[in-house]
Amino acid sequence: MKESTTDTKSSSEGSEENPEAKRKRISNDDLYRRSTQFEIWSYTAESLEAAKKKANAAGQIIATKRFNEAFAELKKASPEVFENNKDKLNPESLLNLITFEEESKYLNYYTPNIIQIAKFFKMPTQVKLTAVSFFKKFYLENSVMQYHPKNIMYTCVFLAAKSENYFVSIESFVKALKGTDAKDILDLEFIILSSLKFTLLVHHPFRPLYGFFLDFQAVLLHPSPLMYDVSVNTLGTLYDKAKNWLNENAVLSDVAFLFTPPQIALAAMYDVDKRVTDRYLKRKFLRDHADKLDDIKEEPENGDVKKEEAKVKIEGDKNIDNDAADSTATKTHGETSDIQTQREQYETLVRTIRKCIKVAKQVSKSPQDEVKEIDRKCFFALNPRKLIEKQVKKIAKEAAPSEVV
Amino acid sequence: MSTTTKTIGNDSKSPIKYSKDRKVGEGTYAVVYLGNQISTQRKIAIKEIKTGIFKDGLDMSAIREVKYLQELKHPNVIELVDVFSTTNNLNLVLEFLPCDLEVLIKDTTIVFKSADIKSWLLMTLRGIHHCHRNFILHRDLKPNNLLLAPDGELKIADFGLARSLGNPNEDLSSNVVTRWYRAPELLFGAKHYTGAVDIWSIGIIFAELMLRTPYLPGKDDVDQLDVTFRALGTPTEQIWPNVSNLPMYNALRVYPPPSRQELRNRFSAATEKALDLLISMTQLDPSRRCDSTQALLHEFFTESPRPTEPENLPKKKVKKSNDEDESEGGTKRRKL
Repeated sequence: MKESTTDTKSSSEGSEENPEAKRKRISNDDLYRRSTQFEIWSYTAESLEAAKKKANAAGQIIATKRFNEAFAELKKASPEVFENNKDKLNPESLLNLITFEEESKYLNYYTPNIIQIAKFFKMPTQVKLTAVSFFKKFYLENSVMQYHPKNIMYTCVFLAAKSENYFVSIESFVKALKGTDAKDILDLEFIILSSLKFTLLVHHPFRPLYGFFLDFQAVLLHPSPLMYDVSVNTLGTLYDKAKNWLNENAVLSDVAFLFTPPQIALAAMYDVDKRVTDRYLKRKFLRDHADKLDDIKEEPENGDVKKEEAKVKIEGDKNIDNDAADSTATKTHGETSDIQTQREQYETLVRTIRKCIKVAKQVSKSPQDEVKEIDRKCFFALNPRKLIEKQVKKIAKEAAPSEVV
Repeated sequence: MSTTTKTIGNDSKSPIKYSKDRKVGEGTYAVVYLGNQISTQRKIAIKEIKTGIFKDGLDMSAIREVKYLQELKHPNVIELVDVFSTTNNLNLVLEFLPCDLEVLIKDTTIVFKSADIKSWLLMTLRGIHHCHRNFILHRDLKPNNLLLAPDGELKIADFGLARSLGNPNEDLSSNVVTRWYRAPELLFGAKHYTGAVDIWSIGIIFAELMLRTPYLPGKDDVDQLDVTFRALGTPTEQIWPNVSNLPMYNALRVYPPPSRQELRNRFSAATEKALDLLISMTQLDPSRRCDSTQALLHEFFTESPRPTEPENLPKKKVKKSNDEDESEGGTKRRKL
């Protein structure tokens, strides 16, 4: 487990001894950075892909080992069959592992089912999202070639329901799932908890979305409406559409590994209504100059920015050795760099939001027939004995007629 | 160091990290051991949660405890040092905290100075402030759950009833918090409540620290209402709008709110500022109660005397016989 981080300061420390650090307020962002979601479960696009590949590779190794053991055992039981049919009964031709791409498709197929199960039990959104999160995290640590996704999926819903305070007894839970025993679920619960590295708290974008809904009203409607066609009602519609957007797109995608909940919430709003959301962001980040900027046409605006950029660059170089380059720059260079910082923040945010929208919409539906084939492979990866036995039977069947004759 | 030490480790991967020295308690879902973190010789407590013995799998309290303690790192919240598994047991490695506030309150041979009370109250509020700003409600604050480290630092513990706050439209259970520390909105069965329930509990603990006896010791849930309103007045629509709409609202006996002088008499050692804060934390209407920020910024904390430094706070009396924990606690001075 991680070491506890910076906040080991004793409670009496602070005011007199460390005037420098004084009055630095803890923001929600600071708090988020200390959550396990940020510390353990946040990735870059590259590191996320690497984690998935690693899980698949580890799964292949385990499945291969399992296969080899079964093969050796069966061979020992009837050596002559294996000896006589080397061309058909050898690990190279039989072993058919699930590739990285297949594993991704397979998991994408399962994710929507989690939501269906949660819906069936009339569980709140919170449970749905947490269950999906557990499921996705589990398969960053494990492969479908180790644990078949079906029962993992059920157990994730069961555990998520408990973790989100929506308790369902195991009897009523398995009663609704045909062909699954209580034991199947309960045995996996602990394994899932370990794979989750004992972290259960998941921050979802719905709370920040609600916060933005309120702040949109504050910023865009008060003291007087900024846009002639924006009212409480239109913002309410925007909010509802954004909720649907999150439920339809974001939930199934990997955005939660790559972006913070407020970024995801803003992405939803931006994609639902770019004009209103952009106006809000401009007002928020470029507040002192927003009105001016709105009046300026595209070209001169860009011209100004370039000039400002150049200025800050020159002055910024002087501060290159300064640890607190950022804050110093803002303080000493006054308004110009203030505008500059704000503009940069705004632009970075919009870029991030756009990226988030792209990722959220990336999830493609896995074609049924392909999934069926992967499902078959998965079954045999988990039960190699059955695969080999099946082949032995097939050989025997092929051999049988000739023997009769 | 210890003689009969059973060592345990993180399943398979990592080497042995902790020793379990002796069993100190057993509850329905957990056994608690004292031990050491081998690499540092730091004293720790291991809460071994039994799994597989419950019909419905992992116990909800265990889930809550792991869930919230993993997120909360603060000097005034018990530290979850590690979590590991041993053959289907879940082990929570917690910092070692030898005493709690209830023990001190009950030990009438110990004198509490007003600066001591201020210090404990301050540490409790800092801890709960950290919970609340992370949108976590504790829901079971009482002296027994305010643990004391050997260096005097107070730590909020037992997150078995905790939950996240802030999903709009979600119902919450009102059957939380140990009775004597239960806020009036909970007594009335409110399904929507906030961090104000924790603030109420802390207010009642504040009163108990001054009185050295439980402030509102109701014998049962009905009596709790009576005891609470006798001390603080029966809530009316006037002082608490919409109170009569709460599911279990009941104003059989109407008591007048206490006058300032009555409170002065009851809390004879309290300063005016102390009374202000107490009144603010025990407002019947949760929306009028102060929140953790307002409480922390209250003038009570800036008026003289300064809160006692944690290491100078009263400690559990050491029995002459064996208590090694205590002597060690005494020598381990806090770095300031």
